Amino acid sequence: MKGHSLFNWIFAILASLVLLFIIAPLAGMFLDSSMGEIRNTAADPVVRRSVWYTLAIAFTATILFAVGAVPLAWIMARRKFPLKNVVQGIIDLPVVLPHTAAGIALLGFLSRDGLLGGAAQKAGVLLVNNGAGIAMAMAFVSLPFLINAARDGFAAVPERTEKAALMLGASPSRIFFTISLPQAWRSVVSGFIMMFARGMSEFGAVVIIAYHPMIAPVLIYDRFNTYGLSAARPASIIFILVALVFFVLFRVLATERRQIFRREDDATD
Amino acid sequence: MLRTEQLCKRLDSFCLREISLEVAQGDYYVLLGRSGAGKTQLLEVICGLTPPDKGRVFLDGEDITRKKVQDRGIGLVFQDLALFPHYSVKDNIMYPLKLMKLPLRERVSRVQRAAEEMNITDLLLRKPANLSGGEKQRVALARTLVTEPKILLLDEPMASVDASLKDSIRRMLRRLNRNGQTIVHVTHDFGEAVSLASRVGVMHNGSIIQEGTPAEVFNHPANRFVARYAGFKNFFRVTFVKSYNSWSCVTDNRTKFRLAKGEYPSSGLLIIAAGEVLVSRQGAAGVQINNIHGVIDDVVPSPTGYEITVSAGDIFYADITHRGMEEQKFVIGEQVIVSFRPESLRLVGNGEDKKEY
Repeated sequence: MKGHSLFNWIFAILASLVLLFIIAPLAGMFLDSSMGEIRNTAADPVVRRSVWYTLAIAFTATILFAVGAVPLAWIMARRKFPLKNVVQGIIDLPVVLPHTAAGIALLGFLSRDGLLGGAAQKAGVLLVNNGAGIAMAMAFVSLPFLINAARDGFAAVPERTEKAALMLGASPSRIFFTISLPQAWRSVVSGFIMMFARGMSEFGAVVIIAYHPMIAPVLIYDRFNTYGLSAARPASIIFILVALVFFVLFRVLATERRQIFRREDDATD
Repeated sequence: MLRTEQLCKRLDSFCLREISLEVAQGDYYVLLGRSGAGKTQLLEVICGLTPPDKGRVFLDGEDITRKKVQDRGIGLVFQDLALFPHYSVKDNIMYPLKLMKLPLRERVSRVQRAAEEMNITDLLLRKPANLSGGEKQRVALARTLVTEPKILLLDEPMASVDASLKDSIRRMLRRLNRNGQTIVHVTHDFGEAVSLASRVGVMHNGSIIQEGTPAEVFNHPANRFVARYAGFKNFFRVTFVKSYNSWSCVTDNRTKFRLAKGEYPSSGLLIIAAGEVLVSRQGAAGVQINNIHGVIDDVVPSPTGYEITVSAGDIFYADITHRGMEEQKFVIGEQVIVSFRPESLRLVGNGEDKKEY
């Protein structure tokens, strides 16, 4: 019993140190900034525009890319095909790439000399230094979070329910929308939140594609470079608070849904 | 009605071998076999979820081997029931009716009818997670039956049902069948097969090794595997001997039995039901009765009394009632005589086949 207690203490201390490591810099930032500074920065139209712009682009990018990412996740969960591991490696690649390198790679693709950028320019659209380019940079680095979460969700759907729907006369598309997606929904939403959160906090890839219009992480960097730490700190706080509100809101929504499922599971037991 | 012609399907480490079976309109066909025998795979091939490598499936004379699953007119209830957890009971039953694009009034009326038939009207607004095993079973049946399938395939329908509810499910299935529903029912449970089947097919290692009415299959098992399934425990591999128009045989362990009149091959496998073996201290009277001396090896409680194991050169299993045991008070190690009539000995298959299952 004594050994058990010592084990608990050691683990509790180690866990606390890690939590402290995460909390301390954030807490320090809040403590080093006065309310006046934060209020003034919050009233700054440039900062406000930048924050909303960041949220809007990250949200749009998540929605748009989910249209392809969710079917890809379903294929990865349900289908067997040659080189599936290679495809999974490609999906995970953005996670391991340095984000600036991802930005450089994307720039080559989206600039007017690039494959997509050239085609877009012929249609009169520029993909660099605007929202479209930023959305793509955000999506590039954050897509794996949505695809992998959704894939796990689809894999957890009992295949028998899909087969039962087929036996009852449903088409494959109907099965996807009425059986598979509703059952995998919480994982898809969770992946959606992670992609959104990761996308809006992206700096490295975005700054290479578009310094302007400034998203919040670029603005914070710009303030730091131009005016120093004291000017960057309140902008950081505002962005962190807004991001936290959205993150917590989505998490609560997802958790409530999960608890509904769990209550149903418990009732079965 | 349903006919399969030499269906073959190779899966990872298992294959269905040349399965040919016929199920007539109104039949209750039970596919009996251990887990891993290929029963579920056969159902999936019949209903089209798995395409066969070879062979064909006919329903009402039409070749449906390549027909889409949705258009076959076959209903399948999976072993795990596969209810849609995110839908209420009502929406589960309504699901196929929506796909059939029936008018709302017709859908509602069919759901109501199915719910009444399955006695689940009070469950319609509940989610599957809040149902018991028996309730889930009835919902899964209702969901399949509203599609009015030509043939209903049931994969281990009693697997998720408490023992106490099995009787009511059996009664419901018998009623369905009496109302004209053709059923193919997969199970590993001999009792289920006996109580429900109008025909039985015994599956082993991807093949149907015996088929017929329950009486044909279980009274005259074609091999040791089917005999074991039918509950036989006394097996004797014997050599038959004919002298002066009467037959006898000698087991591999040199025990000699008198046999009933008839024709016998040179060697074969004999079985006898444990209920037809009598254990006593004095032996049974009668000229033809086989009386064999032995020693009690074991006495084990059974649902109807006790099972006594007697070592007499060969091993004999005999059933005795609680009352019989109270009167006789047999103990392990006691010298006894096992007795049985020659007519109780049954030849397995044609006797020549030495293939063991």
